[in-house]
Amino acid sequence: MDQYEIRELCEQFFDAYENRRVDLLDRIYSDDCIIWHNVFGRETTRDENLAALPDSYKGQRRRTYDDRIVNTFHDGFVIQYSLDGVQNTGHRGSLWICIVARCRDGKITRIDEYMDSSKFAAWAGREGTR
Amino acid sequence: MGRPGGDSVRKEWQTLELCDRFFDSIERNDYETLESCYAPEAVIWHSHDCLYQSRADNLAMLKAGMETLPKVRFKDRRIRVFEGGFVQQHTIYVTRANGFVGQMDVCFVGYVRDGMISRAYEYFDTGRITKFLG
Repeated sequence: MDQYEIRELCEQFFDAYENRRVDLLDRIYSDDCIIWHNVFGRETTRDENLAALPDSYKGQRRRTYDDRIVNTFHDGFVIQYSLDGVQNTGHRGSLWICIVARCRDGKITRIDEYMDSSKFAAWAGREGTR
Repeated sequence: MGRPGGDSVRKEWQTLELCDRFFDSIERNDYETLESCYAPEAVIWHSHDCLYQSRADNLAMLKAGMETLPKVRFKDRRIRVFEGGFVQQHTIYVTRANGFVGQMDVCFVGYVRDGMISRAYEYFDTGRITKFLG
Protein backbone atom coordinates (compact mmCIF):
# COMPACT_ATOMS: atom_id res chain seq x y z
CA MET A 1 0.00 0.00 0.00
CA ASP A 2 1.31 3.47 -0.78
CA GLN A 3 0.88 6.42 1.55
CA TYR A 4 -2.23 7.66 -0.29
CA GLU A 5 -3.97 4.31 0.06
CA ILE A 6 -3.04 4.14 3.74
CA ARG A 7 -4.32 7.67 4.34
CA GLU A 8 -7.56 6.88 2.53
CA LEU A 9 -8.00 3.71 4.59
CA CYS A 10 -7.48 5.72 7.76
CA GLU A 11 -10.19 8.23 6.76
CA GLN A 12 -12.57 5.43 5.79
CA PHE A 13 -12.02 3.81 9.15
CA PHE A 14 -12.80 6.93 11.17
CA ASP A 15 -15.72 7.92 8.96
CA ALA A 16 -17.18 4.44 9.48
CA TYR A 17 -16.73 4.75 13.24
CA GLU A 18 -18.34 8.17 13.21
CA ASN A 19 -21.30 7.00 11.12
CA ARG A 20 -21.73 3.82 13.19
CA ARG A 21 -21.17 1.66 10.12
CA VAL A 22 -20.17 -1.57 11.78
CA ASP A 23 -20.60 -3.32 8.41
CA LEU A 24 -17.86 -1.13 6.92
CA LEU A 25 -15.59 -1.62 9.90
CA ASP A 26 -16.03 -5.35 9.45
CA ARG A 27 -14.58 -4.98 5.95
CA ILE A 28 -11.77 -2.66 7.02
CA TYR A 29 -10.42 -4.98 9.75
CA SER A 30 -8.32 -7.88 8.47
CA ASP A 31 -9.41 -11.34 9.59
CA ASP A 32 -6.52 -11.48 12.07
CA CYS A 33 -6.84 -7.87 13.24
CA ILE A 34 -5.93 -7.19 16.87
CA ILE A 35 -6.95 -4.10 18.81
CA TRP A 36 -4.89 -3.16 21.88
CA HIS A 37 -6.14 -0.57 24.38
CA ASN A 38 -3.77 1.12 26.80
CA VAL A 39 -6.59 1.72 29.27
CA PHE A 40 -7.17 -2.04 29.63
CA GLY A 41 -3.59 -3.13 28.96
CA ARG A 42 -4.80 -5.98 26.80
CA GLU A 43 -5.61 -7.00 23.24
CA THR A 44 -9.04 -7.77 21.82
CA THR A 45 -9.90 -9.55 18.60
CA ARG A 46 -11.71 -7.94 15.70
CA ASP A 47 -14.85 -9.93 16.51
CA GLU A 48 -14.83 -8.83 20.15
CA ASN A 49 -14.37 -5.24 19.05
CA LEU A 50 -17.15 -5.32 16.46
CA ALA A 51 -19.54 -7.04 18.87
CA ALA A 52 -18.98 -4.33 21.49
CA LEU A 53 -19.65 -1.40 19.15
CA PRO A 54 -23.49 -1.26 19.11
CA ASP A 55 -23.62 -1.03 22.91
CA SER A 56 -20.78 1.48 23.00
CA TYR A 57 -22.77 3.80 20.71
CA LYS A 58 -25.90 3.76 22.90
CA GLY A 59 -24.80 6.39 25.39
CA GLN A 60 -24.26 9.15 22.85
CA ARG A 61 -26.53 10.75 20.32
CA ARG A 62 -23.50 11.85 18.31
CA ARG A 63 -19.79 11.19 18.13
CA THR A 64 -17.38 12.94 15.80
CA TYR A 65 -13.73 12.24 15.25
CA ASP A 66 -12.31 15.71 14.81
CA ASP A 67 -9.02 17.54 14.36
CA ARG A 68 -7.56 14.48 12.69
CA ILE A 69 -3.82 14.73 12.22
CA VAL A 70 -2.73 11.77 10.12
CA ASN A 71 0.82 10.74 9.33
CA THR A 72 1.61 7.66 7.30
CA PHE A 73 4.59 5.33 7.19
CA HIS A 74 5.46 2.29 5.12
CA ASP A 75 3.11 -0.14 6.86
CA GLY A 76 0.58 2.00 8.63
CA PHE A 77 -0.39 5.32 10.12
CA VAL A 78 -0.54 7.32 13.30
CA ILE A 79 -3.54 9.54 13.90
CA GLN A 80 -4.02 12.13 16.64
CA TYR A 81 -7.59 13.33 17.06
CA SER A 82 -10.27 14.49 19.43
CA LEU A 83 -13.33 12.34 20.03
CA ASP A 84 -16.16 14.79 20.54
CA GLY A 85 -19.35 13.34 21.89
CA VAL A 86 -22.85 14.55 22.63
CA GLN A 87 -24.37 12.30 25.27
CA ASN A 88 -28.07 11.45 25.32
CA THR A 89 -28.31 13.90 28.21
CA GLY A 90 -27.01 16.68 25.98
CA HIS A 91 -23.68 16.82 27.76
CA ARG A 92 -20.77 17.52 25.45
CA GLY A 93 -17.30 16.17 26.07
CA SER A 94 -14.00 15.53 24.34
CA LEU A 95 -11.27 12.95 24.58
CA TRP A 96 -7.82 13.31 23.03
CA ILE A 97 -6.65 10.06 21.52
CA CYS A 98 -3.76 8.69 19.51
CA ILE A 99 -3.94 5.52 17.45
CA VAL A 100 -1.08 3.72 15.76
CA ALA A 101 -2.28 1.29 13.10
CA ARG A 102 -0.64 -1.31 10.91
CA CYS A 103 -2.08 -1.95 7.44
CA ARG A 104 -1.75 -4.67 4.83
CA ASP A 105 -3.53 -5.38 1.54
CA GLY A 106 -6.06 -2.61 1.99
CA LYS A 107 -7.01 -3.54 5.54
CA ILE A 108 -6.05 -2.66 9.09
CA THR A 109 -4.22 -5.51 10.81
CA ARG A 110 -3.47 -3.97 14.19
CA ILE A 111 -4.56 -0.98 16.24
CA ASP A 112 -2.86 0.38 19.34
CA GLU A 113 -5.06 2.94 21.06
CA TYR A 114 -3.81 5.45 23.62
CA MET A 115 -6.18 7.55 25.70
CA ASP A 116 -6.59 8.77 29.27
CA SER A 117 -9.26 6.90 31.22
CA SER A 118 -9.26 9.54 33.96
CA LYS A 119 -11.12 11.76 31.48
CA PHE A 120 -13.94 9.29 30.81
CA ALA A 121 -16.22 10.61 33.56
CA ALA A 122 -15.92 14.19 32.33
CA TRP A 123 -16.49 13.04 28.76
CA ALA A 124 -19.68 11.24 29.71
CA GLY A 125 -20.90 13.96 32.06
CA ARG A 126 -20.53 11.73 35.12
CA GLU A 127 -18.15 13.95 37.06
CA GLY A 128 -18.75 13.76 40.79
CA THR A 129 -21.05 10.78 40.46
CA ARG A 130 -18.42 8.04 40.74
CA MET B 1 22.47 11.01 -10.06
CA GLY B 2 21.90 9.59 -6.62
CA ARG B 3 20.02 6.43 -5.98
CA PRO B 4 16.24 6.79 -6.09
CA GLY B 5 14.96 7.45 -2.62
CA GLY B 6 18.45 8.13 -1.30
CA ASP B 7 17.55 11.41 0.37
CA SER B 8 14.45 10.05 1.98
CA VAL B 9 16.28 6.98 3.23
CA ARG B 10 18.99 9.17 4.76
CA LYS B 11 16.41 11.45 6.35
CA GLU B 12 14.55 8.46 7.76
CA TRP B 13 17.77 7.11 9.24
CA GLN B 14 18.56 10.50 10.78
CA THR B 15 15.12 10.69 12.36
CA LEU B 16 15.47 7.18 13.79
CA GLU B 17 18.86 8.14 15.19
CA LEU B 18 17.39 11.29 16.77
CA CYS B 19 14.62 9.28 18.37
CA ASP B 20 17.09 6.77 19.84
CA ARG B 21 19.45 9.53 20.96
CA PHE B 22 16.62 11.33 22.74
CA PHE B 23 15.37 8.34 24.75
CA ASP B 24 18.86 6.91 25.32
CA SER B 25 19.99 10.25 26.78
CA ILE B 26 17.22 10.10 29.39
CA GLU B 27 18.16 6.54 30.30
CA ARG B 28 21.84 7.53 30.63
CA ASN B 29 21.22 10.76 32.55
CA ASP B 30 22.96 12.60 29.72
CA TYR B 31 21.34 16.01 30.07
CA GLU B 32 23.56 17.74 27.51
CA THR B 33 22.57 15.34 24.76
CA LEU B 34 18.93 15.47 25.80
CA GLU B 35 18.92 19.25 25.56
CA SER B 36 20.50 19.15 22.10
CA CYS B 37 17.62 17.00 20.81
CA TYR B 38 15.11 19.82 21.33
CA ALA B 39 14.84 22.71 18.88
CA PRO B 40 14.86 26.16 20.52
CA GLU B 41 11.11 26.51 19.95
CA ALA B 42 10.23 23.01 21.17
CA VAL B 43 6.96 22.48 23.00
CA ILE B 44 5.71 19.27 24.54
CA TRP B 45 2.03 18.38 24.85
CA HIS B 46 0.77 15.82 27.37
CA SER B 47 -2.54 13.98 27.24
CA HIS B 48 -3.21 14.31 30.99
CA ASP B 49 -3.64 18.11 30.89
CA CYS B 50 -3.86 18.72 27.12
CA LEU B 51 -1.46 21.63 27.50
CA TYR B 52 1.76 22.51 25.75
CA GLN B 53 4.73 22.59 28.11
CA SER B 54 7.63 24.89 27.27
CA ARG B 55 11.04 23.53 26.38
CA ALA B 56 12.55 24.99 29.57
CA ASP B 57 9.87 23.52 31.84
CA ASN B 58 10.06 20.12 30.20
CA LEU B 59 13.85 20.02 30.43
CA ALA B 60 13.69 21.08 34.09
CA MET B 61 11.24 18.24 34.77
CA LEU B 62 13.44 15.70 32.99
CA LYS B 63 16.56 16.99 34.74
CA ALA B 64 14.87 16.63 38.13
CA GLY B 65 14.05 13.05 37.20
CA MET B 66 17.67 12.39 36.25
CA GLU B 67 18.77 13.70 39.64
CA THR B 68 16.27 11.80 41.77
CA LEU B 69 15.24 8.58 40.03
CA PRO B 70 17.64 5.65 40.36
CA LYS B 71 16.77 4.19 36.95
CA VAL B 72 14.60 4.98 33.92
CA ARG B 73 14.22 2.57 31.01
CA PHE B 74 12.19 2.73 27.80
CA LYS B 75 11.45 -0.83 26.78
CA ASP B 76 9.64 -2.48 23.88
CA ARG B 77 10.35 0.51 21.69
CA ARG B 78 8.42 0.39 18.43
CA ILE B 79 9.36 3.25 16.14
CA ARG B 80 7.92 4.36 12.85
CA VAL B 81 9.20 7.33 10.87
CA PHE B 82 6.93 9.53 8.77
CA GLU B 83 7.57 12.63 6.70
CA GLY B 84 8.50 15.26 9.26
CA GLY B 85 8.71 13.13 12.36
CA PHE B 86 8.31 9.82 14.15
CA VAL B 87 6.09 7.90 16.51
CA GLN B 88 7.49 5.71 19.25
CA GLN B 89 5.43 3.35 21.37
CA HIS B 90 7.14 2.10 24.50
CA THR B 91 6.71 1.07 28.09
CA ILE B 92 8.57 3.31 30.52
CA TYR B 93 9.93 1.61 33.65
CA VAL B 94 10.92 3.94 36.48
CA THR B 95 12.77 2.64 39.52
CA ARG B 96 11.95 4.85 42.49
CA ALA B 97 14.07 5.57 45.54
CA ASN B 98 12.10 3.06 47.63
CA GLY B 99 12.78 0.33 45.08
CA PHE B 100 9.29 0.36 43.52
CA VAL B 101 9.40 -0.08 39.75
CA GLY B 102 6.60 1.83 38.09
CA GLN B 103 5.54 1.31 34.52
CA MET B 104 3.39 3.07 31.95
CA ASP B 105 2.54 2.46 28.29
CA VAL B 106 3.31 5.59 26.30
CA CYS B 107 2.90 6.80 22.75
CA PHE B 108 5.24 9.63 21.82
CA VAL B 109 4.74 11.53 18.55
CA GLY B 110 7.67 13.77 17.66
CA TYR B 111 7.78 16.38 14.92
CA VAL B 112 11.24 17.15 13.64
CA ARG B 113 12.84 20.27 12.20
CA ASP B 114 16.48 20.46 11.15
CA GLY B 115 17.35 17.30 13.01
CA MET B 116 15.75 18.37 16.29
CA ILE B 117 12.41 17.73 17.97
CA SER B 118 10.34 20.88 17.57
CA ARG B 119 7.01 19.59 18.88
CA ALA B 120 6.05 16.44 20.73
CA TYR B 121 2.84 14.82 21.90
CA GLU B 122 2.85 12.27 24.70
CA TYR B 123 -0.18 10.03 25.32
CA PHE B 124 -0.61 7.85 28.40
CA ASP B 125 -3.32 6.78 30.83
CA THR B 126 -3.32 8.56 34.18
CA GLY B 127 -6.13 6.20 35.19
CA ARG B 128 -3.34 3.68 35.69
CA ILE B 129 -1.10 6.11 37.54
CA THR B 130 -0.72 3.94 40.64
CA LYS B 131 1.09 1.37 38.54
CA PHE B 132 3.49 4.14 37.65
CA LEU B 133 3.88 6.05 40.89
CA GLY B 134 3.40 3.21 43.36
